[in-house]
Amino acid sequence: MVKKYNTPEEAKQDQQYLDTLKELIFQLADDDLLISHRGSEWLGLAPHIEEDVAYSSITQNTMGHAAMLYELLEELGVGKADDLAHLRKPEEYRNARLVERVNGTGDYKENPDYDFGYAIIRNYAYELFKKIRLEALQQSSFVPLADTARKIKREQYYHLYHWEVWIDQLAHSTDEAQKRLNNAIQKTWEDVASLFDLGPKGDQIVEYGLLESGEMLKKKFMDQFKAKMENSGLIWPGEPQPLSETGREGRHSEEFVDALNHLSEVYKMDPQASW
Amino acid sequence: MFKPEITIHSDDPRVQEFLERIENGEKIEVDDWMPDDYRLQLIKLIAMHGISEIMGAFPEKEWVPKAPTLKRKLSLMAKVQDEVGHGQLLIRVAEDLMHPLGKTREDLIEDLFSGRLKFHNVFHMPAPSWADAALIGWLVDGAAIVTQKMLAHTSYAPYARALKRIILEERFHAYHGEDMVIALGDGTEQQREMMQDALNRWWPALLMFFGPPENGEIKSNQEINIRYKIRSKTNEELRQEFLDKYVPQIRALGLEVPDDNIYYDETKKQWVYTHPDYTYLRDVIAKNQGPRSQNRLNLRKIGFDNNEWVREALLHNQKAIS
Amino acid sequence: MSKDVKDYDVYEVFSQKEPTGKFESQFSLLAPNADVALAMAQENFMRREEVPSNLFVVKRENIHFMPPEKRKALLRLDNKDYRQPSHYGYIPSKWRELKEKNAPKASV
Ligand SMILES: [Fe+2]
Ligand SMILES: [Fe+2]
Repeated sequence: MVKKYNTPEEAKQDQQYLDTLKELIFQLADDDLLISHRGSEWLGLAPHIEEDVAYSSITQNTMGHAAMLYELLEELGVGKADDLAHLRKPEEYRNARLVERVNGTGDYKENPDYDFGYAIIRNYAYELFKKIRLEALQQSSFVPLADTARKIKREQYYHLYHWEVWIDQLAHSTDEAQKRLNNAIQKTWEDVASLFDLGPKGDQIVEYGLLESGEMLKKKFMDQFKAKMENSGLIWPGEPQPLSETGREGRHSEEFVDALNHLSEVYKMDPQASW
Repeated sequence: MFKPEITIHSDDPRVQEFLERIENGEKIEVDDWMPDDYRLQLIKLIAMHGISEIMGAFPEKEWVPKAPTLKRKLSLMAKVQDEVGHGQLLIRVAEDLMHPLGKTREDLIEDLFSGRLKFHNVFHMPAPSWADAALIGWLVDGAAIVTQKMLAHTSYAPYARALKRIILEERFHAYHGEDMVIALGDGTEQQREMMQDALNRWWPALLMFFGPPENGEIKSNQEINIRYKIRSKTNEELRQEFLDKYVPQIRALGLEVPDDNIYYDETKKQWVYTHPDYTYLRDVIAKNQGPRSQNRLNLRKIGFDNNEWVREALLHNQKAIS
Repeated sequence: MSKDVKDYDVYEVFSQKEPTGKFESQFSLLAPNADVALAMAQENFMRREEVPSNLFVVKRENIHFMPPEKRKALLRLDNKDYRQPSHYGYIPSKWRELKEKNAPKASV
């Protein structure tokens, strides 16, 4: 039996546990922050008005999840939630590569050449992974995290359903739509392995019973993703390439640095001020 | 475009009957008989209102990813989402009115791109700082709220139903905007300066929001809209209401109204102020030549063109089942 | 249907607050089919409402409204209080009165 830690105070008594826990929560929070940042760039550009509204709800929910997780870090004495979200150096962020990728080429204010096919598949992959990770987190040895995971999971159901509807609609329509989805799967596959990486403290994360192993998460993900692709007549891309460098160690793309500059631009003008 | 045959001036007995219904305060439904010019005025007004909500999302959206705190990111996103949602409601109402003319949402968007359908003058303006986002939420929404409250009494029931939903959400928008400007106006020196700059930048556009005064040289359709009870107040009455509410708020924030000549005339019970250049309004709106007109049209166009394959794929499925 | 399909269909959205409540009309949206309409409905029209217990959507062309000239059929006179419980408001006090009047006499 792994030891449970019922409160932030209990976790703070055990420095090694605390360090491992922080590492994990940063992964969770940063994943949600970055994917919802990308979602916020989509606002106003979706295929039709009704979808713009619906997609924005998912983006808001996810940003809300990031906020809950940064607050958990705040309770663990790591720093103010807004400082954690906005003021760290790029190499201190722990998100997976998949969630930081641009939506397409071009600046979101001037010439956003975004690909809705990629939005569907990237978001579907992330939400499927997130569901599997949330289910595992419900057994986490850090009880407040297990509780947070349980809460998040309730409203996350819609996210997965939403993107599944899009796959179901488009996979069985025109050749062009099918081709675009297959391309998007290929593109998603370039980064998909980044999701299952638990970073440099991965072994401790598992030993402390904070989360199940990356291999377990990956196996569940692959089984479910494959089934969905096969049911939809889309091309299953097989085993993804192993990672060359990992966001969980703070190694990010230039796209990430741009995103970070955007999302912290105003806050950084004066972090002491009230905004 | 469809030529109105039966108008308010026709001696068709149905027009008299229709006007009597309007006089009695009855509400008109989409399937009721209506004079052609009533339908056309409604389409023009509601399509422009709807498309302005959609286009109005863009200036604020520029600041959504950059909103300073997690809370602001959430609330601004929710607010801009509402505006897109208002566009959805209104454009649906316009679509139902256009249906007998064989026109759809797609046509409406095409009209926007070709310049036949205008969007509101304020949304052609740049929003270069975070304080502009705050100002839009506070005063552009403030101006919209004044107008929409008046329009809620419109004789056209589907428009009134959409406005009812919109006005409920605008209560959040009003507080949301005030919350943002209070933080800045009551904040650091730098924040206060940003706020005053934004106000200076937006003031003429805010006054123009309501359109030229009725004694001005630019003609509008106000008169016929008032007889049909599509609207119930004049441009100038609305502008006065706006000044009544917001000049005191501006002053309470310690900001200056960027008009040296503005004062309240106690005897006439109205504001006297420097009128903006209304011909600029005509040029900006009619020719899409405002500072950010082309950028915002372009954004909408990119969104529309890039997703054509999605709409085609879905229409393909729809045809397959119908 | 042979119509030239230029845009999505109109779907009317209805929601139910609680399982014992009635469904109420929310608004309408454009969608290519019911699946998409259902996936969009709540976020478009019920973002601030309490979570509904259920939703349904109906293609507008399958809804039949009373046509304007027949809406007169909805009119009636306001002389039907005999259908209302309030019309029988005298009854509770009447029962009390009757009970008192016809109470068995206490035996001496
Ligand atoms: Fe609005
Ligand atoms: Fe608003």
